[in-house]
Amino acid sequence: MRALVSTMRAELVGAGGVVERNYYLTKRYIWWDVAWFLWTVANTLTIVFIAKGIEASGGNLDVNRTMTTLLIGAVVWAYLGILFEFLMETVAWERWEGTIEYTFMAPLSRAMHLAGQGVFAIAYGLLRATFLFCVCAFLFFDLTMPNAQFFPAFVVLLVSSVSFIGIGMMMSVLPLISPEKGTQLGFVAQGTLLVVSGVYYPVEVLPQWMQWIATISPATYALDGIREAILEGQGLTAMWDELLPLMIIGVVSIPLGLWVFSRGEQYAKKHGKLKRSG
Amino acid sequence: MNDAVVHVAELRKTFDVPEREAGLKAATKGLVRRKTKEVRAVDGISFDIAPGEIVGFLGPNGAGKTTTLKMLSGLLYVSSGDAQVLGHVPSKRERDFLRRIALVMGNRNQLQWDLPALDSFELNRSIYRIPREHFLRNRDELVELLEVGDLVKKPVRQLSLGERMKVEIVGSLLHQPQVLFLDEPTIGLDVTMQKRIREFVAEYRQRHGATVMLTSHYMADVEALCERVIVIHHGKILFDGKLGALSNTFAAWKTITAAMENGASDLSSYGEVIHRDGDLVTLRVPKADTARVTARLLAEQAVLDLNVEDPPIEDVIELVFAQENRS
Repeated sequence: MRALVSTMRAELVGAGGVVERNYYLTKRYIWWDVAWFLWTVANTLTIVFIAKGIEASGGNLDVNRTMTTLLIGAVVWAYLGILFEFLMETVAWERWEGTIEYTFMAPLSRAMHLAGQGVFAIAYGLLRATFLFCVCAFLFFDLTMPNAQFFPAFVVLLVSSVSFIGIGMMMSVLPLISPEKGTQLGFVAQGTLLVVSGVYYPVEVLPQWMQWIATISPATYALDGIREAILEGQGLTAMWDELLPLMIIGVVSIPLGLWVFSRGEQYAKKHGKLKRSG
Repeated sequence: MNDAVVHVAELRKTFDVPEREAGLKAATKGLVRRKTKEVRAVDGISFDIAPGEIVGFLGPNGAGKTTTLKMLSGLLYVSSGDAQVLGHVPSKRERDFLRRIALVMGNRNQLQWDLPALDSFELNRSIYRIPREHFLRNRDELVELLEVGDLVKKPVRQLSLGERMKVEIVGSLLHQPQVLFLDEPTIGLDVTMQKRIREFVAEYRQRHGATVMLTSHYMADVEALCERVIVIHHGKILFDGKLGALSNTFAAWKTITAAMENGASDLSSYGEVIHRDGDLVTLRVPKADTARVTARLLAEQAVLDLNVEDPPIEDVIELVFAQENRS
């Protein structure tokens, strides 16, 4: 038992080291991150302005509500982008930097290695998503959200992050087995996940087969839950319809993600793909 | 050898490498049916390395050196055969194994380019579970030995190649590995820096009783550090033995350098004249005839000074590869 506790502690210290390194690297590039944040703000604004555009062209809609709905979709899109980017970088960035062999030779379990990446991605992603939401909602558009329950919305995003990390682990195997183009496939996965999950529209408008895929996408429940909390003022107790599926998908996706990554690592070690590029 | 630190038996690694002819037609055909060729990077090699031994692993580019080191470090799976390091199968990634080895590659880096080396050292402390007091002691000792006190606070990107290599070595040795795989650690470095790294490796080995496997294209590294060399070419071992025995096995001649009173003398009857610089003449003579030719020279010519040497190790290695290519 003592040995197990000692091993666990050591593994957590190792994962903490990965988090710490990501902090240093993010800090090193903080001004680039500010630039990227401005790009994300611009991108989000182009989406939220669609509601105003429809109104201006004679459409009959609750502009404030539609803008908030679109804003939530854009923020979740940006958040998912950060999570996937960090997890894809587990391989892609290290391959580019030439550190990949050393990282994969380090005496740290792959689970803790990926957990370290994931924990930092969630912390940093939540921070960026919160900033993005506040800047667009309150600084730019002055949106009113009289019933908004921000804490439950935050909890839903946090719980959904577990599933997103599991999926991110599966995606991060792509640059491992395909050094040339694997990273780009992460964007395909991100877009595909969100298009079936009702990122800017209700899932009900999708074709039946896409609606079926939406039932197994964690982003569907994340978007529903966050919108219910912010637009309808739902509390956590009323959100089990979202939280329970998110927990179930999370419990399945993390071990599945680790398994997929481990298979990818085995493939890379068999075919000599574990080497630098660039 | 039961107590071998590194045990390799009939080790093989094959890769399927895609290949096609040039041109549009071949490229389009490749979309439907991709042709691959099996390449044997390592082809049935066997050797053992004893504790504390330092072995030079030599071969031209593409000989299979790095592939072998990667298999011994667990970064590549073997196709067949047996590889064990410190009693562990490297591909299993057992923590006890990973914490006792280090692989230093001259053309790779483990330190993040954009961070000061000290930050990356901290990551290694966490991952290798080095107690803080040991970490600080090891780090300070290595920093002092390699004289990099001023460098470890700068982003690695801003260091010269030689400086970067030195801090890379510090990072690799913080956990005091018992087995060191050094893959071209002096590549691209100037002569002074090469010498410094060589001295350091020798000192580290002496202090910690480490076992070292070294690949290098610089024979000065090998001559300074290795008593034993393994020569590999096309994935096969051509020679495994004492460095001194390499020339005995492969070079059937010695060189005689004679300082003559009259450099214009014709010495072609004594052996092949391979160099002439004023009164200094260098002859290549069959090994078996060395004593006889030397005696004749001294008796028949006005010789001021005379030196008999084995051929330079570079020439011997070149000869080994040339013989292999011909066969």
